[in-house]
Amino acid sequence: MHNPYKPIPMRIARTVVETDDQSLKSFELVFEREADREKFFAKYRPGQFCQLSIFGKGEAPFGVASAAWEGDFVRFTINKIGVFTRAIHKMKSGDAISMRGPLGNGFPIEDWKGSNILIIGGGYAFTTLFALAQHLLAPEIRSQYNDLTVIYGAREPGLFLYKEEIETWYKRDDINLYQAIDRPVEGWSHFVGYVPTVTKEIAPSAENTVSFVCGPPVMIKFTLPVLDELGFPPERIYTSLEKRMKCGIGKCGRCNVGHKYICKDGPVFTFAELRELPADL
Amino acid sequence: MYKVLPKTDLPKLIGRWMEQATVYAPVRQGDFTKFEPLSDPAQADLYYAANTRYPPKSLFLPQSEVMFRVKDGEFESTEDEVSSRVILGIHSCDTRALQLLDGVFLTGDYQDPYWAKKREQTTLVVLGCADPCETCFCTSVGSGPFDKRGADVMLIDIGDEYVADVRNEKGQALFGHLPDASREQIDKSRQVQAAAAAGMKKPFETEGIKDKLYSLFDSDFWPKIQQSCLGCGACTFLCPTCYCFDIVDEAQRNERVRNWDTCMFRIYSQEASGHNPRPTNTERVRQRIMHKYAYFVELYDEIGCTGCGRCVRYCPVDLDIRQIIRSAQAWEES
Amino acid sequence: MNQLTFAIRQEAARILEENVVDVVIGFEVGTLPLKAQPAFITRKEEAEKLVYNGFCQNNLAAYLTRRPKEERIGIICRGCESRAVRALVIEHQHDRDKLYLIGVPCTGIIDWRKIERQVGENTLQAVEEGDEVIVTTRDGEHRFQRVDVLHDSCKRCLHPNPVGADIVLGDPLPEGDPERAWAPVLEFEALPPEERYAYFVQEAERCIRCYACREACPMCYCTECFVDYTTPRWAESMITPSGTQAWHIIRAFHQTGRCVSCGACERACPMDIKMTYLVDKLSYDMVQQYGFEVGASDEEQPPFAAFTLDDRNRFVR
Repeated sequence: MHNPYKPIPMRIARTVVETDDQSLKSFELVFEREADREKFFAKYRPGQFCQLSIFGKGEAPFGVASAAWEGDFVRFTINKIGVFTRAIHKMKSGDAISMRGPLGNGFPIEDWKGSNILIIGGGYAFTTLFALAQHLLAPEIRSQYNDLTVIYGAREPGLFLYKEEIETWYKRDDINLYQAIDRPVEGWSHFVGYVPTVTKEIAPSAENTVSFVCGPPVMIKFTLPVLDELGFPPERIYTSLEKRMKCGIGKCGRCNVGHKYICKDGPVFTFAELRELPADL
Repeated sequence: MYKVLPKTDLPKLIGRWMEQATVYAPVRQGDFTKFEPLSDPAQADLYYAANTRYPPKSLFLPQSEVMFRVKDGEFESTEDEVSSRVILGIHSCDTRALQLLDGVFLTGDYQDPYWAKKREQTTLVVLGCADPCETCFCTSVGSGPFDKRGADVMLIDIGDEYVADVRNEKGQALFGHLPDASREQIDKSRQVQAAAAAGMKKPFETEGIKDKLYSLFDSDFWPKIQQSCLGCGACTFLCPTCYCFDIVDEAQRNERVRNWDTCMFRIYSQEASGHNPRPTNTERVRQRIMHKYAYFVELYDEIGCTGCGRCVRYCPVDLDIRQIIRSAQAWEES
Repeated sequence: MNQLTFAIRQEAARILEENVVDVVIGFEVGTLPLKAQPAFITRKEEAEKLVYNGFCQNNLAAYLTRRPKEERIGIICRGCESRAVRALVIEHQHDRDKLYLIGVPCTGIIDWRKIERQVGENTLQAVEEGDEVIVTTRDGEHRFQRVDVLHDSCKRCLHPNPVGADIVLGDPLPEGDPERAWAPVLEFEALPPEERYAYFVQEAERCIRCYACREACPMCYCTECFVDYTTPRWAESMITPSGTQAWHIIRAFHQTGRCVSCGACERACPMDIKMTYLVDKLSYDMVQQYGFEVGASDEEQPPFAAFTLDDRNRFVR
């Protein structure tokens, strides 16, 4: 019987310091075994997560921040905040690490072929949204969708993730990118203001559009009414939830919201689905 | 198929099983019994009427279980380290609990191999409760003292003999060689079963409980009911259907382990960021009750409580789940 | 209804009506005949629910650190509860001005385990009648001498009378006999080390780490207990001997000079683990070596929490 708790061996191929304050680093992991790589990419879709594990420091869940076409690696962007994340921040390319996944449902993007896609992200929560945007930008996939709009806010310019890749988006004509920072900074030529305000300003059309919104709770709280005003029904607003997890496969009981488990029924839910659940977040 | 076993022959039969399997039975430990592997058939104490203090779920989900031994970064799974077992004298409530937990561990996209392997390797010789305790309420939660679901064999105590209701091949392997029970013996066993269930009280009504609890989610009911709760884990650890676990690395022993955990502990839901979705005892008590009487019903169409009464008996403050459900049903917003 | 119950109801109703307190913490009839339930009374009409008898087995002071900070609390205080209140006030865990102590001299808590050990697990009814406890089970009536079924901690009780109460209901009782109180400590100490260790191992090994002992204890109020720390981790979380033994030892040490000897930890334990023998020894040492007893004064710090510049030990200097 397959043991879903058993991690596979991975190796860190590359690390990138993402933010100026050094608190966020990306890790690109490669597979030690070809069979594991095949299995992973056969199942992976943006919005899913993996359990990374460093024996002795335990396991922790992280959203995948790369699209399959980017290469044979899996990217995770990790905030230095607890025991596990401090340990991984000390690791270098070439180091061995273990992984389980992909886990969770991911964004059901293939249900929305032919639609406009609106991605709204704030701060560190942009990781899986980046994977989604990158996924959509693959030539054979991009043609299956209409307009692609990304609104991405961060406190200050130095706190944006994936700066190099995102810079290239500005040069493309198949993605509308709106970056915003909280307060004006010299040399910043894009938007200034909080994500909800910027969203209101840009006012993307809700017609034939599905939105994916991830960010800090306060951003979500004020963005939802804006989307509502713009005419987005809650069935067409997706978000990704986080809660403390252990098993990642709906067995250990920890991450429930009502009768749903974030790890196995989520982490992606529509706001219509969340409205049906008890407020236990 | 009904077989008959004189009680005096039980040790001999256990001895026979012990040749091929590890036999677990309630063994006296001080003032209570606990399921232990027998080294001598005489250790089995089937006459101690009450449930074992410590729930036999531990034989399938041990309180601390090594999942992996880790060598040079390789995780070696321990799931196969279990061989053939017989569990004798487990009651219907605890057997029912295993069945309910099969829903958690064996359904959906992922199966838990540790649970699956132990279930597969185990034959359950259930002992029906002829004399249910005052704190038992199995008949109120869709079960009964002689609930045969999940049993490979059900033993019914008819005095000097047990009538063995052999339910399947696993049971057949242990009891097949015994003589068939007579019509009188079978009739007597039916009387025993009916009398046991008839004698039990019904402390609450479960009709509509799921919806009622959902409707109370944000009500004053929980802050009020939780006041006496100390926030310990006695109820959940003794509960046969509580299954939440934590996964930790015991690096000094090169083991990845899972330990029972409980939603009653503050740190259970504490996140690294400092946020805790269940910051007070109110949310935690609500989670425990709602998991059993609302969420479980939603997921499996069964109440996630088997009425064993352990949490009732051993709650340090007599916060009685029967009373909680009764109060919930009667609660009206003021 | 006994006289004390009547007096408690009256006083509770009065202090609620006169707005002296917001809540009265006492006991009400439980669902199990041998246990009363903690009760939280906020309206004077509800004071009728309160009862007081030997089945009131919890130390109510454990609730003080759980209540909202601004709340004014009336609390039924027996000897041990009143001493826990003192200790909590000294440790700045509660504001004495927000408390109204309804003192009750205590004749001891009836140990339901001692009764059920003899009559089985199906008690239908239990009442106290003078020096007797009358228990009805499915097979009839059983009579016990109260003294025979008291909880061990109550048998050893030194201070049945409440200290520092705002009102005392009932007549004062004679203080306990120190010789009798400390006898078990001396007896245990007299055992050979390997026997003592064997006893400790045998008790600790039943531990299921539910922490009912911790939660039932009025003095275990840390928001983060050492066993819950993960950075660094102080004790294994498994139910291995090293994990459970570490819990029982360190827990006992943290109680040094703080334990009020109420025995609530043992009464709360679902696995019948003996725990007071460890802390009682530490309490004995506190008395012998520092002349300190918890709750004896309303200002003296526990010796291990206090320091002075003229301490004869050098480490504080």
